[in-house]
Amino acid sequence: MTDYNTTLFRRLTWEGTVPLEIRVDPKELPANSNRGLECYYVQAPRVSYLPLIVPEIRKFLMDVVFDEIAAKGLKDEEWWFESEEGTLLKWHWPIGVIYDNHTISASIRSSPMPSTSTPCPMRLILHLAAPPNDKLFLSPTIDACKQAFMNQLKEADFIRWGNTRRMTSLRKADQDGLWEGIRERDFDDYWRVASKLMPFAGSPLRSTSPPPVGSSLSRPLSADTVSTPERDGAYSIRSVPVRIYLPDGPVLQELAPPLLEDGKRFWQDVLQCISTERPIDTGTPHTLSHFFSNHFALLFPPRPPPPPPSRSNPNPQAPDVPELAYALIQGVISPPEAELAWLGSCMAGADGWLNICVGINRR
Amino acid sequence: MAQVATGPELTPRQSSRNLPSMAVNNDRPELKEEVVKALETYKKKDSPKVVVRFRGVGNAPIMKQNVYKIIATNRFQAVIQFLRKELGWQKGEPLFLYINSTFSPAPDDTVLNLFKSFSTEGYLIVNYSTTPAWG
Repeated sequence: MTDYNTTLFRRLTWEGTVPLEIRVDPKELPANSNRGLECYYVQAPRVSYLPLIVPEIRKFLMDVVFDEIAAKGLKDEEWWFESEEGTLLKWHWPIGVIYDNHTISASIRSSPMPSTSTPCPMRLILHLAAPPNDKLFLSPTIDACKQAFMNQLKEADFIRWGNTRRMTSLRKADQDGLWEGIRERDFDDYWRVASKLMPFAGSPLRSTSPPPVGSSLSRPLSADTVSTPERDGAYSIRSVPVRIYLPDGPVLQELAPPLLEDGKRFWQDVLQCISTERPIDTGTPHTLSHFFSNHFALLFPPRPPPPPPSRSNPNPQAPDVPELAYALIQGVISPPEAELAWLGSCMAGADGWLNICVGINRR
Repeated sequence: MAQVATGPELTPRQSSRNLPSMAVNNDRPELKEEVVKALETYKKKDSPKVVVRFRGVGNAPIMKQNVYKIIATNRFQAVIQFLRKELGWQKGEPLFLYINSTFSPAPDDTVLNLFKSFSTEGYLIVNYSTTPAWG
């Protein structure tokens, strides 16, 4: 079964790239290097990893920058990356997460909100020796990165279903195919296997009559999917695998069930139920705004309920609360009414995790 | 900073675009006090301890005491190092750690995050093995 809406957004997520500017630490350039050219620019896939782009960086440096004899002493396994501000860049973080995490950390310094029209390259410093292994945690090999990726997939599988049977029942060739899909940047190869692990956002009802593209782009909600959740659908999982990145750390994990149970609901959710004619007792979709005002109320203060209607004000509005922070997912500032189940299904990384970076609004 | 309390709806919102150069070189120049406090709160290290139960797999040596309280904000890397020390493992001797007999967490994940998602009956169960067990 294919779901047009889910596949569209998965493809958009998969094809996302980020601009990187990689510069060798000038103090570590080998003798006789071609200075002035030691910068490499790459538009790197968000779902990829630093060890996977090291080979092309090395080829550029060997061909253009390094002196052949002086470069002989260099060892790949001693290379490591740092941001311009001195943050160690981890081998096992998806490149998109590294980029977004850099964006939100800059949001508490001087940069304005991220602009979707003119993305800035993130500046990386490449060091050629003395890696701080205790802080990088993993060896810089592609194989170590693959192992970490596989374990992340399993961990996400466990959070989603309460066991890892979907992952462990994959044949070895299929498991390897997931990683190969990332290496080869092949959407179809990757999702041929990954769709056995990750639920579709839509219901069978919806998939037979996909909405027009325009409407699904402007309103990425799944309001009509909830009353009869599919057994394997995004609204039937135990919890969405989600990690929250705050500026300059920490990284936090919270349980994120796709539907809210009775009694835990905010009045906005009830209103949404009524406006979309959804039965209230099936549980309302867990939205970003509910999740954040529940777990991070200091940055996402919940809106108090509107005052009761009166003769002078028959349709009272809830009072405004300051928008202190925003949620950045795959480089996109996400609307508060977005549903976690939909986000987890359509905008998770290739490792199955929905990574949400929290930036600070500057006003 | 004190103006924040008067409520943002009373004053027109100012765009920071008007004064771009003022913001540079200052550490957190225009962050609201409440934001700074919020970030500090979420960063706090003084966290409760959680209970970790170690279970050997296969040929792994059995621990006399296998239940420990561990500071929740510790990274899983600290658990790995702790266990290696308890077992008297030398550097380079292989030891594989798993949660709930299923996966190896990233070493930079915190014990708190793992406990929140994977604890069973108040314990975080960590399996250890001398060979890859749930690869």
